Amino acid sequence: MKARILDRTDVLKIIDLLRSEGYEVIAPFSGRERDTYFEAVTDANRDQVEMHVPNPYYPPKRFALPHIERLMKVRQKNGEITIEPTIEEPKRALFGIRSCDVAGINHLDRFYLGRDFKDVYYEKRRKNLLLINMVCTEPGVDINHECFCMCTDTGPAAREHFDLQLMDLGEEFMAVAGTPAGERILKAPIFKQGNETHIEKRRSILKDIRRHFKNTNSWFSATVKYISQGAVLEKTWEQIGNRCLECGGCTYVCPACTCFTVTDREIGPNEIERVRLWDACALAGFTRMAGGHNPRRAVHDRRNRRFFRKLAHYFIQRELSMACVGCGRCATVCHGDVGMPHVVEMIRRATTEIEKS
Amino acid sequence: MSTTENIYLPKTAIVDRVTDEIAEVKTFYWHFENPEDQKAFKKFRPGQFAQVSLFGVGEFPASLPPSPTEDETFFTIRVVGSCTAALHKLKPGDKFGVRGPYGNGFPMEEYYGKNLVFVAGGIGLIPLRSCIVYALKHRDKYKQIQIFYGSKTPTELMYVENLREWEKSAGIECRLTVDRPCETEVWTGNIGVVGSLFTKPGTEIPVDNTMAFVCGPPIMFRFVIKDLLKIGFQEQNIVSTLERYMKCGVGKCGHCCIGMAYVCTDGPVFTYEQIKKLGEDI
Repeated sequence: MKARILDRTDVLKIIDLLRSEGYEVIAPFSGRERDTYFEAVTDANRDQVEMHVPNPYYPPKRFALPHIERLMKVRQKNGEITIEPTIEEPKRALFGIRSCDVAGINHLDRFYLGRDFKDVYYEKRRKNLLLINMVCTEPGVDINHECFCMCTDTGPAAREHFDLQLMDLGEEFMAVAGTPAGERILKAPIFKQGNETHIEKRRSILKDIRRHFKNTNSWFSATVKYISQGAVLEKTWEQIGNRCLECGGCTYVCPACTCFTVTDREIGPNEIERVRLWDACALAGFTRMAGGHNPRRAVHDRRNRRFFRKLAHYFIQRELSMACVGCGRCATVCHGDVGMPHVVEMIRRATTEIEKS
Repeated sequence: MSTTENIYLPKTAIVDRVTDEIAEVKTFYWHFENPEDQKAFKKFRPGQFAQVSLFGVGEFPASLPPSPTEDETFFTIRVVGSCTAALHKLKPGDKFGVRGPYGNGFPMEEYYGKNLVFVAGGIGLIPLRSCIVYALKHRDKYKQIQIFYGSKTPTELMYVENLREWEKSAGIECRLTVDRPCETEVWTGNIGVVGSLFTKPGTEIPVDNTMAFVCGPPIMFRFVIKDLLKIGFQEQNIVSTLERYMKCGVGKCGHCCIGMAYVCTDGPVFTYEQIKKLGEDI
């Protein structure tokens, strides 16, 4: 991997460079209070781009898999049907995306582009999507109480899947290229050769930052083992299910959830569009069939389902990637405190006790 | 450069004719507008399914009752929701969308040299019809073939023409039963649940070297499985096809995922041994 150094004052010039090349650049901004969000950079808001902010709740996943995405337009006139697929191929860069969200997009890559069926909508949207990763280095800003990327091994500094990685070293930033597209960016004159001091600085910051994570013992491997072996008691799943209010929030903020539903809607006379929307396995209607039969009734079955799908060894192997990236969003939004870190802990504790006795 | 096929794109299909089966169930004979699509689709296997599109209403998964050895393609559909209701309004010449075939299907070639026992209840005969017709077309490849089919009343028996034909054919045993007779139709056959046919005098179900196909409503499924296990069937020699809510049919939308399986791509055909391990209701 190629690494370069750039001045702190030059960091946002990467955005200018990409914009001049025709990229729509999406970057993090601050709203009121804790509110932060990803938005397209314009001439007007360019100077407000944040390099260190609490990670926005609404994940950048939507730039690879839109919350609502049109799949096709269908016209029906005089007995004829015309189907027109609506595939978009934007040229886009995600600036300042965190390591957990990089892992999330990698998981979507594995899921939508792997196995028997490739998703052409995802493929085209992803093709020209540049990931400019920002390493989390500011305790209390980048890293909050719910972050647990150290347990999922996805952060605070991603090791792969980014095009370019930026890390704050103080007065300077280190830029590491992860792909040829990233190396190309490094050719810009704002980048300079680094030296041993920079590498040492990076090492010491990363070593120090580990102390600032509250969640460092989520016992993922033990829980993955218990779930995969079917060792988790029905009682434990029920306890988790009882705390779930079925709002579906966890799935909508999850950077690695992949499920969607499809619906048709009218857009004009004799014309409809077929769209897909994010969907949530936490919701009761997710498996309900026409006629009312629902094979998955109880709420703990649905909770079980979500965590099983994310943590069973079988699926981790199938996609060579785990569907949890340690961002902590589910833990932040959950009203019942059954976000991933707590569930992992509940399962680990309950099952270890049984194993002991 | 290779281009990725758009897996969500339906192809236009045209209704040829519509026949009534039983109350609320109709069979739609159709073909693709483009003969190339028709040719590609005809490579389906018994037990596979297709996604049917009624534009402006939605899309639903439907099993394929025809055998690939037959000329015509058709769906047999009961009205249960908005999509199926929209389909039922179609008349010959009307157009709709189809994509597929999807799913694993029954490995009929693997069953060469075996006895086949088909057990169906109600509209559960729809997916099994494909296997039955296929097996009869390749009659010499299989040993004994038995069909046990039950419905609530005589008026709810599906594919009556086929049933009459199978009852008359030499080389297959076709036994029918109804839960109760009804006033509108004379019934001289068996009365009782489908499992009651297994132990009738004159009926002998071979257990060794036999595959049992079971399809029907959840309650019938549970009882038939019990009966089959009782007469000595191994769990891996009982196969069925599962129904699930599906939005994509290609392993992406997540709606049909149970346990470790996506019903659309890993199924819909599973052995009872596998179904038991999935860890959810049928």
